[in-house]
Amino acid sequence: MSTKSIREEFLKGLWDENPIFRQLLGLCPTLAVTNAVINGFAMGMATTFVLIFSSLVVSSIKKLIPSQVRIASYIIIIATFVTIADRFMAAFFPPVSKDLGPYVPLIVVNCIILGRQEAFSSKNTVGRSLIDALGMSLGFTLALLLLSSIREILGMGTFLGHQVMGAWFKPWIIMILPPGAFITLGILLAIALHIEHKTRSRS
Amino acid sequence: MNLSTRMVVVLTAIGLLSGGLLTSVGLLTEERIALNKQREIEAAIIQVVPGTRSSEKLYEEKDLSVYGGKNEEGSLIGFGILTSGIGFQDKITFMLGTNTALTKINSLNIIDQKETPGLGAKITDRKFFLQYWENKDCSISLSLHRPAVSAPKELGPSEINTITGATVSSEAVLDAVNSTLERLRKLKNEGKLSKKE
Repeated sequence: MSTKSIREEFLKGLWDENPIFRQLLGLCPTLAVTNAVINGFAMGMATTFVLIFSSLVVSSIKKLIPSQVRIASYIIIIATFVTIADRFMAAFFPPVSKDLGPYVPLIVVNCIILGRQEAFSSKNTVGRSLIDALGMSLGFTLALLLLSSIREILGMGTFLGHQVMGAWFKPWIIMILPPGAFITLGILLAIALHIEHKTRSRS
Repeated sequence: MNLSTRMVVVLTAIGLLSGGLLTSVGLLTEERIALNKQREIEAAIIQVVPGTRSSEKLYEEKDLSVYGGKNEEGSLIGFGILTSGIGFQDKITFMLGTNTALTKINSLNIIDQKETPGLGAKITDRKFFLQYWENKDCSISLSLHRPAVSAPKELGPSEINTITGATVSSEAVLDAVNSTLERLRKLKNEGKLSKKE
């Protein structure tokens, strides 16, 4: 059982246990879909939906599931919500669904979601699991937005499709290609670690 | 209840609930997803066969669908051909608009592609690629012009501009268009493109 206050439970997902910058989980969608802000945002929303509902279901039926089949049960629950998210996006947001392609179904194997069920929802109350899921998905979405903003602005000179760089700017095509994702993530991780060291040595 | 029975019961119950939920979501969204696809195709036909008021599917086989675009009087004014070719990374799906004699390409539209962003993906860009496909003579095989030119008027009537740095993607589209046109001429001679009565 977690003993943190509700506020800490929520805030830990934003920095202390941020899925991307601190736990380095869910890097496959992080690297693959952050070539445009809209894609990063859509992936963040889809993951948020899946994480919140999976956490709610897992934390409410945790006592019924024998521990030997818990991973299989979690995967079925997660896959159900992922499929719902995928169908919903294909029906109501066809262009985004097309851009994200296979990465929406791949949320099933996103380690953040299975990780939160195993590490948190299976041991905590429904309320706490919801707060945890909200914090983690917000942390994940913000990280995706940061990464995709940097990549879209430098790689295409646009933000959400609107031109933000002047005519003098020559887009760095590498930023929207896979190497750009690794370079940006590497630099952001270094900055995150640096800030963490600074604050730790001060306290 | 012993442990193995409990494991079976729990997994079965979760599986059944999940299946039931997904069936209803599938039924609810199915129609809308099909409608989205149909709308996309209709919009593409109107773009590649200018003046289209209504359209009709004339022929279908694996990876090739031919739609007829009709004007206000209901007479056939051109073909919208939905097909695909193998690109640098994956399939490139596109819609080609021609006149009814298959001698002129009105224009080309890329529906779906996964080429390299910033390079091969320029095949979807009107300025870099698609404008060169407008009003082309396709009574003979089309060819690529290399090196790339800066204005459409510097090209021959059956020549297409290459995208600098994306020769493979440009060639992929060109080859797919040429082979599709050949296939279509055959179908037309066999009388398979005329309206089904």
